[in-house]
Amino acid sequence: MNTFFEQLLNGIAMGSIYALVTLGLTLVYGVMRILHVAHAAVYTVGAYMGLFLYSSTGSLLLAFFGASIGCAILGVGIERFVYFPLMKYPPFVPLIGSIAVMLSIEEIMRLIAGPYILTFPAKLPFPDLSFSGIYVSSTIIAVYSITALILLVLWYISSRTELGLAMRAVSQDISISGAMGINSHLIVSITFVIGSAVAAIAGILVGIYYNQVYPTMGAVPAYKTLALIVVGGLGSVSGGVIASMILGVAETMLIGYANIPFPRDALAFIAMIGVLMWRSEGIMGSSR
Amino acid sequence: MFLEVKGLHVSYGDIEAVSGVDFYLEKGELVSIIGANGAGKTTILNCVMGIIPPKEGAIIFKGKEITGIPDFERARMGIRIVPERSRVFPRLTVYENLLTGFYRIRDREKFSERLSWLYEVFPVLRNRQGQLASTLSGGEQQQLSIARALISNPELLLVDEVSMGLMPKLVDQVFEILKRLNEEHGLTILLVEQNAYASLNISKRAYVLETGTCVLEGDAHELMSNPEVKEVYLGN
Repeated sequence: MNTFFEQLLNGIAMGSIYALVTLGLTLVYGVMRILHVAHAAVYTVGAYMGLFLYSSTGSLLLAFFGASIGCAILGVGIERFVYFPLMKYPPFVPLIGSIAVMLSIEEIMRLIAGPYILTFPAKLPFPDLSFSGIYVSSTIIAVYSITALILLVLWYISSRTELGLAMRAVSQDISISGAMGINSHLIVSITFVIGSAVAAIAGILVGIYYNQVYPTMGAVPAYKTLALIVVGGLGSVSGGVIASMILGVAETMLIGYANIPFPRDALAFIAMIGVLMWRSEGIMGSSR
Repeated sequence: MFLEVKGLHVSYGDIEAVSGVDFYLEKGELVSIIGANGAGKTTILNCVMGIIPPKEGAIIFKGKEITGIPDFERARMGIRIVPERSRVFPRLTVYENLLTGFYRIRDREKFSERLSWLYEVFPVLRNRQGQLASTLSGGEQQQLSIARALISNPELLLVDEVSMGLMPKLVDQVFEILKRLNEEHGLTILLVEQNAYASLNISKRAYVLETGTCVLEGDAHELMSNPEVKEVYLGN
């Protein structure tokens, strides 16, 4: 029974990390209608930046902040110099551009940091807990707390601030938003800043969680999060978060606990195919 | 001159939608542009708002050339639009839609003042303020769109096919409101309409547009008795 709960907690942690990466993808899709595959490369860069800052300064706080700022700049760079000039073409053109950026960043990271798996031997400043025999590691508690905090802040921005109102307006009708006095290009850039900073945090959390950072660590998340935003309903933030949580738990429980001999990474795509066949607007999407 | 548009050309790809249109508005005037579907009326309005760029020509607002200025800055200068088919934000509530019309104008007092006035003019919006705009009927969305454009107290209101999809009774009501805004509040309005009779009736001057060029212009009531206009646009 204890294994069951421990695996459930692991599953929720996995789902939280998926949710943090999916979030950026959903936000970007919302304002730009682009499948931002390179988002997973931003997450990889975030993990490396975090590791570098942590090993050179010993401060995790600095690692989180520095990597978030670095990735925010990288994200806006991708938006300004890759997506923006390609927006006048059909959507597959920026998608191809995005895949190219993804592969380039992977290769650049390989050149800079080497093709090895680096370890991320950080101890997060959270306690290890134990409830009637169920052990909960400090890493899991850190993942939960940081995810909860980020979701709360984003919920607040989205529903309680003028910036959030502008982001929602731009994602629903970008040309009319401009006519309402909203600088929609600026709002798009801010969306990239938020999504990329959150991706950096997710990258660091994954690095610490698995104690691994390597150049292609974004490859599987890149495609898995694409499946997740389709399952959640394209552009639906809550749908993406819920789909991520369900996937994290399902992967861990079905394969890690029930020992069903099934390729773990295929689950997201089976869910995506199912959604496309029976409910193409996604679990939380609105048909448009 | 309040608004002056000179030598306006607009193209979509190889197709020229507007080929050399000139018009002007004096402060406090209500002017309409009438014409058939596809004559280029909406294109002209979107150009004045800055939603689409012209290929050639100049747009001058209050003596300042705004041709290269982006739409959001024009909105902040006091130009607002009621777009074709209302274009309210479907997944924002009625209240939030009105907030977008007041974006970056940080004056709570003025907002509540304007809001209560608009709720008086369009009572249905008050009753539905917490509902998503997508749940409103076509006529209600049109009213929301007008209110959203008016909440910032604009200097120039651009109104695109506001009668489309409205019940006849509501059309009269909406035109009555526009007329009152113009007469009592001195609001300058540029109206683009297929419903030529209703718009000429409340306008001071009008332009008649045919396939991207202006073919007639003048006093709205004189145009109403012009045999050509009668035949083509007023249907008698």
